Amino acid sequence: MDYTATLISAMLALVTPLIGGLLMGVDRKLTARMQERVGPPLVQPFYDVLKLWGKVPMIASGLQPVLAFGYLGFAFVAAGLVTFRQDLLLVLFVTGMADICLTVAAFNAKSPYSYLGGRRELLAMLSYEPVMLLAYIAIFLVTGSFTIRGIYEYGAPLLLVLPAALVALEIVLVIEMKKSPFDVSGSGHAHQELVRGVFTEFSGYTMALVELGHWTKLATALMILSLFWAPSPVIGGAISLAMFFVALMVDNLYPRLTWQRMLRTTWTVGFALILLNVAALAVGGVIR
Amino acid sequence: MTLIQKARLKSLWVMHFDCGGCNGCDIEVLAALTPKFDVERFGIVNIGDPKQADVMVLTGPVNHRNKRVLRNLYDQVPDPKMVIAVGTCACTGGIFHNCPNILGGVDKVVPVDVYVPGCAARPEQIIDGVVLALKKLAGEAPEEDE
Amino acid sequence: MNTETLIAVNIGLPVVSALASLLLGDRRARAGVVYLTAAVLVVSSLLLYDAGGLELNPGGVFETAVVALDFVLLLYFLYQGFVHRSWQVLALSIAQLIPAAYFEFIVEGAHVEKILVVDSLSILLTLIINIVGSMVVIYALSYMEEHERHLHLERSRQNRFFFYMLLLLGAMNGLVYSNSLYWLYFFWEVTTLCCYELIRHDGTEEAQGNALLALWMGLVGGVAFVAAMFVGYSTVHSIALTELMAAPLSQGLLLVFALAALAAFTKSAQFPFHGWLLGAMVAPTPVSALLHSSTMVNAGVYMLLRIAPAIQGTTLTYMVAFMGAVTFTVTAVLAIRQRVSKRILAFSTIGNLGLIILCIGLNTGLSYSAALILLTFHSVAKGLLFMGAGVVENKIGSRDIEDWEGLLGRLPVTSAVMIVGMVSMFLPPFGMLLGKWVAVDAVASTPLLYGLPLVFLVVLGSGATTFYYAKWLGYLTVLPNGAKRITERLETPYKVALYTLLGVNVLISVGAALVISNIVNPIMAASYTPQMSTPMYGVDLGFTSFPVLPLWAAGAAVLLAGSWLAKRKGGAITTPYLGGENVADKEVTFMTTADSEVAASVSGLFLASSIDEEWLDKLAVYLGTAIIVVLFIAEAI
Repeated sequence: MDYTATLISAMLALVTPLIGGLLMGVDRKLTARMQERVGPPLVQPFYDVLKLWGKVPMIASGLQPVLAFGYLGFAFVAAGLVTFRQDLLLVLFVTGMADICLTVAAFNAKSPYSYLGGRRELLAMLSYEPVMLLAYIAIFLVTGSFTIRGIYEYGAPLLLVLPAALVALEIVLVIEMKKSPFDVSGSGHAHQELVRGVFTEFSGYTMALVELGHWTKLATALMILSLFWAPSPVIGGAISLAMFFVALMVDNLYPRLTWQRMLRTTWTVGFALILLNVAALAVGGVIR
Repeated sequence: MTLIQKARLKSLWVMHFDCGGCNGCDIEVLAALTPKFDVERFGIVNIGDPKQADVMVLTGPVNHRNKRVLRNLYDQVPDPKMVIAVGTCACTGGIFHNCPNILGGVDKVVPVDVYVPGCAARPEQIIDGVVLALKKLAGEAPEEDE
Repeated sequence: MNTETLIAVNIGLPVVSALASLLLGDRRARAGVVYLTAAVLVVSSLLLYDAGGLELNPGGVFETAVVALDFVLLLYFLYQGFVHRSWQVLALSIAQLIPAAYFEFIVEGAHVEKILVVDSLSILLTLIINIVGSMVVIYALSYMEEHERHLHLERSRQNRFFFYMLLLLGAMNGLVYSNSLYWLYFFWEVTTLCCYELIRHDGTEEAQGNALLALWMGLVGGVAFVAAMFVGYSTVHSIALTELMAAPLSQGLLLVFALAALAAFTKSAQFPFHGWLLGAMVAPTPVSALLHSSTMVNAGVYMLLRIAPAIQGTTLTYMVAFMGAVTFTVTAVLAIRQRVSKRILAFSTIGNLGLIILCIGLNTGLSYSAALILLTFHSVAKGLLFMGAGVVENKIGSRDIEDWEGLLGRLPVTSAVMIVGMVSMFLPPFGMLLGKWVAVDAVASTPLLYGLPLVFLVVLGSGATTFYYAKWLGYLTVLPNGAKRITERLETPYKVALYTLLGVNVLISVGAALVISNIVNPIMAASYTPQMSTPMYGVDLGFTSFPVLPLWAAGAAVLLAGSWLAKRKGGAITTPYLGGENVADKEVTFMTTADSEVAASVSGLFLASSIDEEWLDKLAVYLGTAIIVVLFIAEAI
């Protein structure tokens, strides 16, 4: 067994929340700059989480903290699956488990805003899960494997073969990051429609756990996007950061749209692009 | 100072509530949050949810109806918390002081940490008030003429 | 214990117990019979797994008995059709009666040497039927008591009920051992009989109407079987499955298999025959748990599993796959629209059977394994869910899931069972998810021309499945206003059935690798190259792997760590945020500007404006019929 590789994978998995936190800091800084402001320091999200941890605990129900931890925990498991180069479908399903923990925690608080937010979160999942699944299947058709190891073994960069999958996953990233136009379930910052949506009844350490989970999911998503140029981690990283930046730009350009629009756009654009891409590859003989 | 105490000074989430004023101070509070003054660089974010807030920024005088609402929201903010009364109405009741339905300033219902008088209080004064609150949080005594 | 005795017990004991239940008036004696039968069946199925396969001819007297009983049955159906003025039942009964008589007495083709054949597939089905079935019958002891109390019946009709329930178990066991197409057809018709009688058990007009629907759709399958016997006999001069499968594939033989597939579609409620299963939900819940989720509908799937190795690579098998895929997706979308708990479960059943049938139709080693895994885990989980739903219905008096809000607080134990059941249907690391994972791998591995539309359907259906189960999970866990606290007192039969099946569900999910290596792979070995290896940690497909045990360990660790943290940090439980207008001491009530108190409520995410149920139902019927027509035409070409 390759001990160095295992160690690197394990360490990478453990630091995903930190990477995610830094990315959130970059997010806020860039957003500020786009709005001609100075913006908070890059480590601001860490201050936020520490402050939240120091609050006097206040919970909505007995289950809530357990499920909030579940959100973080399963996000961690998904990150581990990615760093250990396991099956992409598994990553999707385990992330789904994390999302269900969050949603049930939101339902379990006896609050209408929380309940509505949880429902909207389910609609968000309905929008992006099929598209992600199809994108991963497209990757399988090209590389012959569902594992991340298989993508590395395939050799050629995926971006050249499956650009549509990257675009589809970009839309998914926008929804997962809860950015406009698809921040229907719990926007990054306060808004009048849903108060804080799915996050309304979280406070103090439970909110800190949810934030950390969100960071972990963000870092995991970007790690997956970096697979589109597997041969070179530098270019791969650049691609994922570019996608991250595109999501930020879209957030600052667009207002929030309805969930019906989110569902319709994700499915039509996502499905159409990936199916066309796969058809083109089939005609071109890249996949049999 | 522990890490968490330092973090509290760097990250202040605001819950803004208007008890029934003319919105003059509210507009100034929101102006403080706009790019021109950019309080987000201090880690201050306008979070609408009391459960996740650290500071309550209150404007407008308290009357018999909204005292219940104010108390409810105050109870939902987890400790440690601060209350900033912005504008003369929030401080003392302002020009509405003697009206039959007005109880007075917000300190009739909740304990206030910082008073920012003015009608309307200007964004610079509001930011000053927030900085005072932070100092209070850090345990420092206020300077002479603040 | 030798295999002969065991299969005699499996088929014979339920029949004897059924008659005993019918004749015994005393409730306690009947309960004793049921418990005894259940225990014996569970033990016997486990022993059968140990004992292994066999080929057997039980003797001439049994053959004659089967023929005689079959004609009695058909005459009974004819009589029912006449009495209830159902021209479909009349026509379909006659369409079987006359040809079957001709076949038996004139062609004399019904004799087969190896009548009963027990192999690994039969053993798997026996385990499912006997373990899940026994638990459901035990469950029915309490359910029917409460049910009859709700209906204020003066005289109990439970003897009739248990007669048919137990008879069904015997018939199902016989079905999976039958090598003779005639015997299989006979047992098939007995299950149709039980289905008919149980659906109309409550005697209402609606129940009778739905029972007739189930009857005539089931009889379509019967007609298909009789036709298959004729064609099979004229092609290979035998109606033994072993010989039909071994013979070289000709057009006649393809027609036999196509007819068998048609019968399978009717039994497993695939399009366009889904209507009967939805209508069957009027029956008492044990009927739904036994027949319409975990046992009887498996007969259709079993039929397809049987004939699949013989039709590899044909158009027929791809049409079967297509039928399964379309059913899976459309029912998943329709399930989102449902408010009645049993209808959601019904659509979910039809959909998952569709997924299983899709996997069988794809007919590769990987997809066949996926079908077996899905079949096993689905039967256990669905039986559990139906039973739980029945308990909830009896305790709160409603089937509407909007009335299920806050169930976690009102009926904590039952809710916990339901929650685990639901989670096990679509989340890792449970076995259903493992099966779905293998299924996705299998579908993605098919040649692109067939594969891409199927992949698209599976992906869509999978997303919809997550949605409606998670939404339902939300109803259970939401804590609304002043829900009336109910003293939850689960009677012993409920506890035995629910806890056992819950335990089995979790056990086989944790031990999924063992299930695959000991049960699934041996079944595969006969006709496919098993592609699933099971190293210690989980399931390996060569090009990817599923670490079953590490995922379970991780899940347990997360839950334990979360509970520990929650206990350490603690925290007071607060009121929800309602803009500050909370009414004191009333959970989710707020004060409006007019000083009145209003309870906040959030309801229904049934997507009524986005999903047109009637249109989709019509699409289902047309598409289903079209697929079957194409299926048969493709054989003729």
